[in-house]
Amino acid sequence: MEDYKFLFKVVLVGNAGVGKTCLVRRFTQGLFPPGQGATIGVDFMIKTVEVDGEKVKLQIWDTAGQERFRSITQSYYRSAHALILVYDISCQPTFDCLPDWLREIEEYANNKVLRILVGNKTDREDREIPRHIGEDFAQRHGMYFLETSAKEAENVERLFMEIAVELMEQAKCKELPKYDGSLGPINGKTTSVGDGSCCLRS
Amino acid sequence: MSLSLLLEKYDVSTDEGLQKALNEIEKEESEVDEALSGVLSRACSLEGRLRAASQAYTKLTEVKTDAQIAADMVDKTAGLARDVSAKVRQLDLARSRVAECQRRVHDLIDLQLCSAGVEAAIKAHDYETGAGHVSRFLSMDPGSVAAARARGAPDPRDAMTRAANTLREHLVRKFEEAARKEDEASVERLFKLFPQIGRAEEGVDLLAKYLATQTETAIRRACVVSDVTSEAAVFADAVTRVVEAGGAGVERARQAAATHAPGLLHRALRVIQPAVCSGVRRIFTELVLARRLESDPHRSGISPLSAEPILAELALTHSRIWLYFTFLRRKAEVDAAPLKEDQKKACVDAVEKIINECDLMRTAQDILGHYLALERYFLEESVNKALKLATPQVGVTTSSLVDDVFFIARKVIRRAVSSGSVDGACAVLNEVSSQLERGAAGALRRWLRAPPHEPLPLPGPRAPRYPPDPVDKDVEAQKILYLAHMNEAEAGADWAERLASEACAAAAALARSAAERDKLTSCAAGLGTAAAAFRAAHDLALSALAAALHPKIVAWAQRLVDPAPHTDEMEDDADALPQALEQLTEAARAHISARAVDALLVAALAELAARAEAALTHNRYDREGGLAVERRARRLAAWAGSSAGAARERCARYTQAAALLALEHPSHARDALLPTPRLAAPEAKEILARRTDFKMEDIKRLKL
Repeated sequence: MEDYKFLFKVVLVGNAGVGKTCLVRRFTQGLFPPGQGATIGVDFMIKTVEVDGEKVKLQIWDTAGQERFRSITQSYYRSAHALILVYDISCQPTFDCLPDWLREIEEYANNKVLRILVGNKTDREDREIPRHIGEDFAQRHGMYFLETSAKEAENVERLFMEIAVELMEQAKCKELPKYDGSLGPINGKTTSVGDGSCCLRS
Repeated sequence: MSLSLLLEKYDVSTDEGLQKALNEIEKEESEVDEALSGVLSRACSLEGRLRAASQAYTKLTEVKTDAQIAADMVDKTAGLARDVSAKVRQLDLARSRVAECQRRVHDLIDLQLCSAGVEAAIKAHDYETGAGHVSRFLSMDPGSVAAARARGAPDPRDAMTRAANTLREHLVRKFEEAARKEDEASVERLFKLFPQIGRAEEGVDLLAKYLATQTETAIRRACVVSDVTSEAAVFADAVTRVVEAGGAGVERARQAAATHAPGLLHRALRVIQPAVCSGVRRIFTELVLARRLESDPHRSGISPLSAEPILAELALTHSRIWLYFTFLRRKAEVDAAPLKEDQKKACVDAVEKIINECDLMRTAQDILGHYLALERYFLEESVNKALKLATPQVGVTTSSLVDDVFFIARKVIRRAVSSGSVDGACAVLNEVSSQLERGAAGALRRWLRAPPHEPLPLPGPRAPRYPPDPVDKDVEAQKILYLAHMNEAEAGADWAERLASEACAAAAALARSAAERDKLTSCAAGLGTAAAAFRAAHDLALSALAAALHPKIVAWAQRLVDPAPHTDEMEDDADALPQALEQLTEAARAHISARAVDALLVAALAELAARAEAALTHNRYDREGGLAVERRARRLAAWAGSSAGAARERCARYTQAAALLALEHPSHARDALLPTPRLAAPEAKEILARRTDFKMEDIKRLKL
C-alpha cells in the first residue's frame, strides 16, 4: 500500500476556459501546456505533498467547464474535501457566473467542504476584475481567496499547499472520523473534514 | 696496485717493508701472468669466429641484391594492376551510360507513344489504357525528359501533362456521371484509375462524396421514427440504423481504397461523417421532445417507473454511438496497417481527431448528460420510495430496505456500464455511493439510534414480583423491527463492498487507458464510505443492545457474589444465570447474526465479570458462602465455554477470583491461580482477606 497518512479530494470547478486544467497540470507536472483543449468529462491527477513531515495525498479532480458535462461533474461535489472555484480575471462573464456556481455547490456539495475562490491568469495585461472585487466576493461567501497565474507558476503551489495544510488541520482537530475510519476511499486512511470555519486569508 | 700506493702502504725504508712490498709485487706479477696466458689461449677461437663473420657478410650482400630485384618486380605488378582496374572502371561507366541511353531512348519513344496513346485512349473511352500510359509516364526517370529537352527537342512533358490533365478531367466527369447514375461497376472501375494517374486522394474524395450521398439517402430513410410514443426503444433503434448506414459507407470506402490507396480513410471519413452527425442529431432532437427530457427531470414530472424505459433507451443509444466510434478506430488501424510506423500513427490520429471533433461526439455527450440527470432522479426517487416503505410503522416486523436499495443500486450501475462510457459509470458510482450513505445508511442510523425498551430479553435474578405484563403486540413488533434494521445495517456494509468490486470488474472493460481505470477504481472506492456508514449504524445498534442489558447485568453481578449460600436449592442457584443467558442467546440468535450475537455476549460477559469482581470486594464470606460463589462462577464459565467461545476469556479472571474465595486454607492459593495467574498478588490477597475465617497473618505470609 502506498505510504500516506491523509487523502484529500480536491475538485476544481468554474466556467470553460478559465484555466482549471492548466492550474492542475502546473501543480502536478510543473508545466504549462499551451493550446490546452477543452476537458472532456472529468480528469484526475494525484500528487503527494508533505505537510509538517507527514505525507498528504491530494487527489485532484479537474472537471469540464462546459455546460453539457454538468451532470457528470456534479456527481463529484459530494465526496470533495475542498472545492476550488476558478474564474478568469480578464473575462468578466466568468466572474458573473460565480453565483450560479455557488448555487450548484450549495445544492450538491457537503456543507462542510472547504471552498476557495481563485482568480486565474494574473499574467494577462487586460485585467477586467480588480483584485479587491474578487476578495470582496470571497469574503461575502465565506471562501478563501487567491489570485494565480498557471502560466507564470504564480501562487499555484501555494494554493494547493494551503489547502493541504488547512485540510490537515481540520482533520486533526476532529481526529474522530465520521465513521470508524477503518474504511475510506482508495485503501488509505481518510479522515472526514470537520466544519471548517472559512475565513479570508490573503 | 700502483707504485705510489705501494710506497704509501709499506715503509720502504726498512728491509721488512721492502720485503713486504716485493712480495706484494710478486703476487701481482703472477696474477698478471695467469691472466695473460688465459687471454692467449682464447685468441684461437676468436680468430675462427672472425672468419665465419666475414663469410656471412659476403652472403648477405647477395641476398640484398636479390631482394631489390623482387621489390622492383612487385612495384611493376602493382602499377599494372592499377592500370587494369582503371580500364575496368571506364568500361563499367561506359556500359552504364549505354544502358541509361537505351532506357532514355525507350522513355522518349514511350513518351511520344504515351501522350499520343492517352489521347487515343480518351477518344476510344479506354481509360484503363490511358491511365496505364500516365502511370508509365509518372514512373519515368525525370532525367530522360530533361535530357530530351536539353537536346533541343520540344518539351515532351507539356504534351504529356496536357494529356494527363485531359484524362483526369474525363475521369472526374465520367465518375460523376457514374455516381449520378449510381452505376456501381463504373464507379469502382473508375476509382481504381485515380491512384494510377497519381491522384489517389482526389479519387478517395470523389468516392467518399459518392458514398456520402448514398449514405445520406440511407440515413434519411433510417431517421424516420414511425411511432414516437412507443415505449420500445424506437429512437435507439433509429440511431442504430443511422450509425450502421454510416459504418457501411465508411467500410465500403475503406475496402475500395485498401489495395490502391491505403491510409486515406480519414479523407473518406471527413466527407461521410457529417451525414451521420446530422442524422443522429435529428433523432436526438426528436428524442428529447418525445421523451420530454429536461436538464432537471423534476420539472418534467416523469415517474420513476416511466423513467426506466427511457433510461434504458438513452444508455442503449449512447452505447451504439460508442460502438460506432470503436468501429471507426478499428477500421483506421486496419486501413493504415500496411504503412510505415509514423505514417500509420498520423492516419490513426487523423481519424481520432475527426471522432473527437465531430458533432456526433457532442450529441453523445448530450445524451449522456440527459441520461445521468435522469438516472440521478430515478435513483433518488427510488431510494426515497424504498425509505418510505421501510419507515418503521406500528405492527410491522420486517424491512427490506437494504435489499430494495441494493437492487436499485445494482440495476443503476449495470445500466450505466451498459452505456459504454467511463465517465457515465463513474458519475453513477458517485451518485450511488452518496445515496447509499446519505439515504439508506443515514435512515438506518436514525432508526437504530432510538432502541425500544429491552430489545432482547434477559431474565432478572429474582422472579418478578408481579406477574409479567401481557405481551403488547406492537411493542414486540417494534423490537423485532429494530433487530431487523440492525441486520440490514450489517448486510448493507457487506453489500456495499461487494457492489464496489462487482462494479470495478464490470466497468474495467470500458476503460481504454490506465488513467480511466484509476478513475473507475477511485469512484468505486466511494462505495467504501457507504459501507463504513452502514457499519457505523450497526455498531450503534450493537452498543444500544448492550446498554439495554445493563440494569439486569448489574443485578446479576450482585447475585453472583451473594454471600448467602442457599444450600437447600444449591443446583438451581448455580444454574440461574446460565439459564438466563441461554434465554438471551436464544432470543438473539433468532433475530441477529451469529457475529453480532458473539459481539453482544462478549460485551455482556465482560461487564458482568468486571462488575462481579468489583462487588466481590464489598462482601465478606465464610467457607460456605465462598463455595457458593465459586460454584456459580464455575457454572458461568462452563456455559460461556460451550455457548459463547469468544466470551469465555472474559470470565477467566473472575473464575480465579471466585476459586480463591472457596479455598480450604490460604496456603492453597497458588493452586487456585493455575495454570496462568490472572490476578496480581495484591489483588489475590485482597480477595483472600474477604474470607472471615482466614487469618490475616497467613494471608500476608503467602508468597504468590
